[in-house]
Amino acid sequence: MLELKNITKIYNPGEVTEMSLFEDFNLRVSDGEFVSIVGSNGSGKTSLLNIVCGSIPVESGQILVGGKDITHMPEHKRYRNIGRVYQDPAKGTCPNLTILENMSLADNKGKKYLFASGINRKRADFYREQLASLGLGLEDKMNLRVGSLSGGQRQAMALLMTTMTPIDFLILDEHTAALDPKTAEIIMELTDKIVREKKVTTMMVTHNLRYAVDYGDRLLMMHKGEAIIDKQGDEKITVTVPDLLHVFNEISIECGN
Amino acid sequence: MKKLVSFVLAALMLFSLASCSKSSIPVIGISQYGEHESLDNCRTGFLDGLKGAGLVEGKDFTVNYQNAGFDDNITTQIAQNFAANDVAMMVAIATPSATACYAAAEDKNIPVIFTAITDPVKARLDSGNITGTSDKLPVEAQLDLIRKLQPDAKTIGIIYTTSEPNSVSAIAEYEAKAPEYGFTIEAVGVTAQSEVTMAADTLISKNVDCMSNLTDNNVVGVLAGILEKTNEAGIPVYGSEVEQVKKGCVAAAGIDYIELGKQTGAMAAKILRGEAVASDIPYETISEYGIYTNTPAAEALGIDIPADITAKAIESAE
Amino acid sequence: MLNLIISTLTEGFIYALLAYGIFITYKILDFPDLTVDGSFPLGAAVTAVVINNGVNPFLALLISVAVGALAGLCTGLIHVRLKVRDLLAGIITMTALFSVNLQIAGSNMSIIGIDTIFRLMPFGDMPQIYRKLIVSLILAIIVKIILDLYFKTQNGLLLRSVGDNENLVCTLGIDNGNMKILGLVIANALVALCGSVVCQQQQSFSATMGTGQMVFGLAAVIIGTTIFKKMSFVKGTTAVMVGSIVYKACIQTAITLGLPANLMKLITAVLFLLILVLGNLPSKGGRKHA
Repeated sequence: MLELKNITKIYNPGEVTEMSLFEDFNLRVSDGEFVSIVGSNGSGKTSLLNIVCGSIPVESGQILVGGKDITHMPEHKRYRNIGRVYQDPAKGTCPNLTILENMSLADNKGKKYLFASGINRKRADFYREQLASLGLGLEDKMNLRVGSLSGGQRQAMALLMTTMTPIDFLILDEHTAALDPKTAEIIMELTDKIVREKKVTTMMVTHNLRYAVDYGDRLLMMHKGEAIIDKQGDEKITVTVPDLLHVFNEISIECGN
Repeated sequence: MKKLVSFVLAALMLFSLASCSKSSIPVIGISQYGEHESLDNCRTGFLDGLKGAGLVEGKDFTVNYQNAGFDDNITTQIAQNFAANDVAMMVAIATPSATACYAAAEDKNIPVIFTAITDPVKARLDSGNITGTSDKLPVEAQLDLIRKLQPDAKTIGIIYTTSEPNSVSAIAEYEAKAPEYGFTIEAVGVTAQSEVTMAADTLISKNVDCMSNLTDNNVVGVLAGILEKTNEAGIPVYGSEVEQVKKGCVAAAGIDYIELGKQTGAMAAKILRGEAVASDIPYETISEYGIYTNTPAAEALGIDIPADITAKAIESAE
Repeated sequence: MLNLIISTLTEGFIYALLAYGIFITYKILDFPDLTVDGSFPLGAAVTAVVINNGVNPFLALLISVAVGALAGLCTGLIHVRLKVRDLLAGIITMTALFSVNLQIAGSNMSIIGIDTIFRLMPFGDMPQIYRKLIVSLILAIIVKIILDLYFKTQNGLLLRSVGDNENLVCTLGIDNGNMKILGLVIANALVALCGSVVCQQQQSFSATMGTGQMVFGLAAVIIGTTIFKKMSFVKGTTAVMVGSIVYKACIQTAITLGLPANLMKLITAVLFLLILVLGNLPSKGGRKHA
């Protein structure tokens, strides 16, 4: 279980540009939950993920995982139990390494990176199998540098690499936004499949309202640092894209747009 | 890629063309550490010295002159170039050039003649097929000169670069000899030329009675800036060679690098003629130092130059 | 002519050690490391002192590696732990090292007449010029092989990822900072090793010998990687070794041609630019074969 308790996040504290995003924000995510998060720009969706991962500090409040306080744990240590896929496909893979090297690198997560061979030959067949399941033909290009792959191929790899080792949380930061609609669809289906298979607790920020409605078992809509919609279970099933659009429009009018 | 290969090949051909220009006239490879008045004077003097010994350039020898622009790595490559081209003799002006030449000449036993090295013993250039002249400053003569010109002076300020070997050893000698003449030395070390004028301010604020220069490149390079400050403060500055006196120092018991070069040239001539081998000739220090005074500069600071100083007075300050 | 080529190759092999170091910081870590101008003479200073005190010259190489590693560690800690910008962190260490080097070996120190690694090699009465070529070639190759092997280990892969994608390393649960420090340690150990070899080759240390080494290293790395840009099977280490040789050959060409001494740097820069431009041109014939 992930708990955010009384979180306050202020950007540029003490400066003219000071902006308070979260004030006394609270959220609980149960184990195995798949939460879709939508919201307009600046609503705090990505900040929420960054707070969970420790990419940005908070002014006050607590972040608890399974009751353990991780508020002051450095980012890289939190990632030992968290997997994250970014909007930018370049962020999830290393372009100068080959597909095989990238897979080996990710497969070693959680263990020490010492002086054993970087390429895990014994696992090569497993990697090939995994890659084949993507249906992108990557399994035949294991020695190709990742830098020469397309954005969609890289994002698929990033997703595989992030979920290859056991993790408690999967954080998806608009991971389909930079892809063309068809590739985005493939990646989204793949995501759903992996999340179901691994039963990993997932938080997915997306701009695509349909994905938010179609996937996941809980839906949050963020606005000005607050969750103005929070539907789960049966409630979530009844939510439709027009419903969400309606709320969006109301927010826009309120904001004077 | 092809173009690159052809470019490299073309470069190599130029290489070989240049090295094919060998003839029976012995080549003297002169490796100078950098362009600098004193070092240039050494070279000029050296060529004069050869001429003075009756050797004619173009007939008895030709010169391959290289300077390294004060880059230690280039001194190595220059020396290797000389060795590969089988020069008859390497002439090294300043310590880095000399050690590089010595290392490169080892195999072929090419004689190396150096000049403008303060301490050939410390540089381990005192044995082997190598000889030359040292430009060690006549420190005692300088102290004696200052005592005569400023009978009441107590402290001498000196600015020096901590990374210049010649300066470091000169400071040590100043400090050792100063008490005999009733002086204390106030030395300020710098690491770069930009710090020199600040060091001058420091010395002025410490009320030194005068300042004395070494042959320190960084200090000499901004001598005009130092003199501006010291003249305002009424502090005389003594030079270490004739060029500095010309620029406005009050006086100097110092080296004339042209003379030093000539002395070196004469040694080289003996070796070229086969009258001696470098390994048998011990290195020499300057046989005569000169006393130079700048009368206008001295007058401006109210210093009387006693008549018993046999000075080659330089009447005008440039 | 042959001698000139041998000397130039020797210089190229020796300085390849430094170029490997810059390859790691500049090309792999994307870190403009100015420590180099200080750690290079540091290796030389330590070598001059220990050799003068009768230490085996081969051991001197190892000692230099250790002190170079320390220099890299300083820059790394200043950058990562004290959060000083990369360029400034290097400048701080380099500046401090200038004094450290003076403290260790004075303004210059000669080791003429003392056995060096070149003399101690059991090659009979082989002339120094060949000894230097062989020893420097062996060193350049050994270090290259070790580095190539390291780059293929798990740790090596991680290091290669740091400059490429800091983000990925972090999400793998590894502190980027530690990897950067490790890279700087390795790089400066190599640079100091180069300083040690140069000291033994020139048989002297001088406090100013570090000036411009960073620029040389960058040039070697850029020349090398540009030449082999289209040949992905050529390893980075091989490329920078060639880059080092090409750079030294440029200088030697300038000297041989008797170009005006004061223009040397300018001419070097022009040669450098020429190689870069030529290397960038699409090779018409080459593409079909590639």
